[in-house]
Amino acid sequence: MAWAALPILFLAFALFLPLGEVFRLGLRAEGGWTADRLRELLADPYVRGLLRFTFEQALLSTALSLVLGFPLGWLLTRYRFPGREALRAATLVPFVLPPITVALGFILFFGHAGYLNGFLQGLLGLSEPPVRVLYTLWGIVLAHAFYNAPVVARFVHASWEAQDPSQVEAARVLGAGRLRAFLTVTLPGLVPGLLSACALVFLLCTLSFAIPLALGGAQYATIEVGVYHRARVEVDLPGAAALALVVLAFSLLLTYLYLRGGGLVQARTAREREQPAVPLLDRKRPGRLLWVLYLLPAALLFLGPIGAVVADSFLRPAPGGRSPTLHWYGIALSADPTPFLGASPLGSILTSLGVALAAAGGALALGLAVVAALRRLRSRALETLLMAPLGVSSVVLGLALLLAFRRPPLSLLPSGPLPLAVAHVLLTYPFVVRAVGPLWESLDPHLAEAARTLGASRLRAFLTVELPLLRPGLLLAGALAFSLSLGEMTAAAMLARPGVNTIPLAIYQFLSARRFGAASAMATLLMAATAVVVWAWDRAGSRWLGRTRA
Amino acid sequence: MKRLLVLVGAAFLALYAWGTELVVYTYDSFVSWGPALAIKEAFERAHPGVKLVWIAPGDSSEMLARLIAELELGLPTADVFVGLADVEVPRALARNVFRPLDPGRLQNLRDVPPELRIGGDRFVVPYDHGYVTLVYDARALPEELVPRTLTDLLRPELKGKIVLQDPRTSSPGLSFFLWTIVRYGEGWPAFWEKLLRNVLTVTRGWSESFDMLEAGEAPIGVSYATDEAYAQITYGERRFRVLTPEGEGFRQVEYMGIVRTTTKVELAHALLDLILSPEIQELIPTSQWMFPANARARVPEEFARYAVIPARPVTLDPETIAQNLSGWLRTWQGLLGR
Repeated sequence: MAWAALPILFLAFALFLPLGEVFRLGLRAEGGWTADRLRELLADPYVRGLLRFTFEQALLSTALSLVLGFPLGWLLTRYRFPGREALRAATLVPFVLPPITVALGFILFFGHAGYLNGFLQGLLGLSEPPVRVLYTLWGIVLAHAFYNAPVVARFVHASWEAQDPSQVEAARVLGAGRLRAFLTVTLPGLVPGLLSACALVFLLCTLSFAIPLALGGAQYATIEVGVYHRARVEVDLPGAAALALVVLAFSLLLTYLYLRGGGLVQARTAREREQPAVPLLDRKRPGRLLWVLYLLPAALLFLGPIGAVVADSFLRPAPGGRSPTLHWYGIALSADPTPFLGASPLGSILTSLGVALAAAGGALALGLAVVAALRRLRSRALETLLMAPLGVSSVVLGLALLLAFRRPPLSLLPSGPLPLAVAHVLLTYPFVVRAVGPLWESLDPHLAEAARTLGASRLRAFLTVELPLLRPGLLLAGALAFSLSLGEMTAAAMLARPGVNTIPLAIYQFLSARRFGAASAMATLLMAATAVVVWAWDRAGSRWLGRTRA
Repeated sequence: MKRLLVLVGAAFLALYAWGTELVVYTYDSFVSWGPALAIKEAFERAHPGVKLVWIAPGDSSEMLARLIAELELGLPTADVFVGLADVEVPRALARNVFRPLDPGRLQNLRDVPPELRIGGDRFVVPYDHGYVTLVYDARALPEELVPRTLTDLLRPELKGKIVLQDPRTSSPGLSFFLWTIVRYGEGWPAFWEKLLRNVLTVTRGWSESFDMLEAGEAPIGVSYATDEAYAQITYGERRFRVLTPEGEGFRQVEYMGIVRTTTKVELAHALLDLILSPEIQELIPTSQWMFPANARARVPEEFARYAVIPARPVTLDPETIAQNLSGWLRTWQGLLGR
């Protein structure tokens, strides 16, 4: 019971009490509870516009992610080619790549005066920029597809790999053509995975914040941006709380639908053999070269923006015109306060690192406690309660903590970066649960039991037997929590206060002040840090999978 | 013993002074373009041991919102706010942001003409002024496409060529918005509904939109009537041309005040007085690209020659703004989703 009490106590103060504050502020007026504020909001054409736009862009983004991601999943499953493993690992990148760096890359690469238009205008001798996608709805949709097509690809790849190849072979033997076998055997098997992927992508795009904030201007704002604007620009906290309740309703509903649907993809058929892969480059099959028609634009979309950020950090001329230069890295690492950040860049980096370390440590502790509790008390209701943050968007969480830290009991705590660290713990510990839970489940229970028979206490048995065996999973989850916290901007924007600035916020502020060189240098540093984490994650992941497979 | 006490006291005082920071909020372009760094140097020279810290991660209305939020949430915040347009002053006063000024400590205020001053200098004093207008890039926009009236902005040939600022976060954005209300009266929402469909984007602040103009992202934007002088002095040619549709431009006077929670009243007044001094005021034309508020400050000849003064300045009285602004902005927001 003590196992369950600890995480519940933490969540009570860090999540449910703050959410209660959102309800109180959003639904109370003149001493009584009232839905007037909500009704007023839903009748406001601005809020209706926000909702309409949010779902419109999420739908379009999901469709485009599907169109771009499906071929990638197909390619990864069916073909052998040099760099296949690297490409497979690269599909993990968007999971940890901070959205603000993508937004920056899109501005630098797809802007009317950006790298792509500059190149095309030079090549074709045009006087007007030919690619006019930035600052439109399509700019946001494309950035979301950049983000989510790899997610779709991973789902497709995973469910395709899980299929038994003999079924297709049987269909072929019975006389079905390749197309017919694909349509009647392979594709129906992929549908649950595709639906799951679409549900997840739709959820992620609905709750997107940094990309519409940086690329949308005033015209294209999502509800998440709307809440931020109400709370931090208009400083209308009751209005922000009421709007947050609308967001909360949608995020809970979508998360519920996604998790319900999640059962579909896990119901896999037992796999006899690996999917056969054929070489992509085959002299006898020149038709396969048509993949170039997909790969070239895809490479442009995925590598262009990231390449533009890295290139810009070195090539943008320093004051005085020198290029290439390390000037912008000097600024990004400077300890002097920069007015555009309201803090020093180095200070922002140190705050980010500190918060990320605290978040990773907190998420590991909380995640382990949750897994332990769920192992002892297998209850659906408890699981829902303990995984509740999955259904709460970052903006709502940020607002809740912003409000709760103004009043006792939380106002008694030292503030500073603490609310942000708490937010990041809440946003990342579900991933720890996801990573560690199955691993713990797979351990042989006799090991711990043997230790207990030999006289070890339950705690000692856990510390000396189970914990070391869980280490690869823990390292993985800790690294993931660390990198997610490092790149998180939504809660950080909601909770920003004098002296609390983070790397993604600094990138956004440099971007807003049109200090592109400094923004790019900082974004490159952030991407490098995340890349290291992904690399370690992928390595650990394959080792870990290899071990369980053996 | 007495000497020791004096020494310790002096050491404490020095330490106290050494640790003193005067935190000033302003908008980003006051630092990236304007005289902020020169002010910092002059101020720190005159007050050894005191550090002047500029904080400017946004445009003026956004910084004002930040100040209001910090005051309402009880967070530590700025001592001084520099860069409030006249059209934003009603909001700041309604939210009780500033403490009363002591005009006796502002020697240089006597050289500021009365027509720039408002509310008897009780809470805010002006430091520069100019006109918000439309500006276009003469290198990028063919002559036949140049708009001559505000209504010309709706022409389909200009689709995707215009950048505006968000009136909720930016002072020139707000000035332009109020200008269209004066111009179109009750019909302004219809104008904006069409305008929003024709623009490239609506940025949070002036810095972004003007940088987009300079970088060639778009050829038309809302900016200041002094931009021709800027282009002439910076590029040696009038790359940016100022448009005064039917002779109009929206009058803008910029103000500064002392935040009500500050404990550094003396230093804050000293800073305001320094900004009003001829020494700093003379930097305003060619850094801030505005007219100085101090009548004794000299203005460079080339600036005076190329800075456009609209024949028919447009203004709106603070009373009307205070009563209607939040309603207007709600209506404007409602048009965004269309």
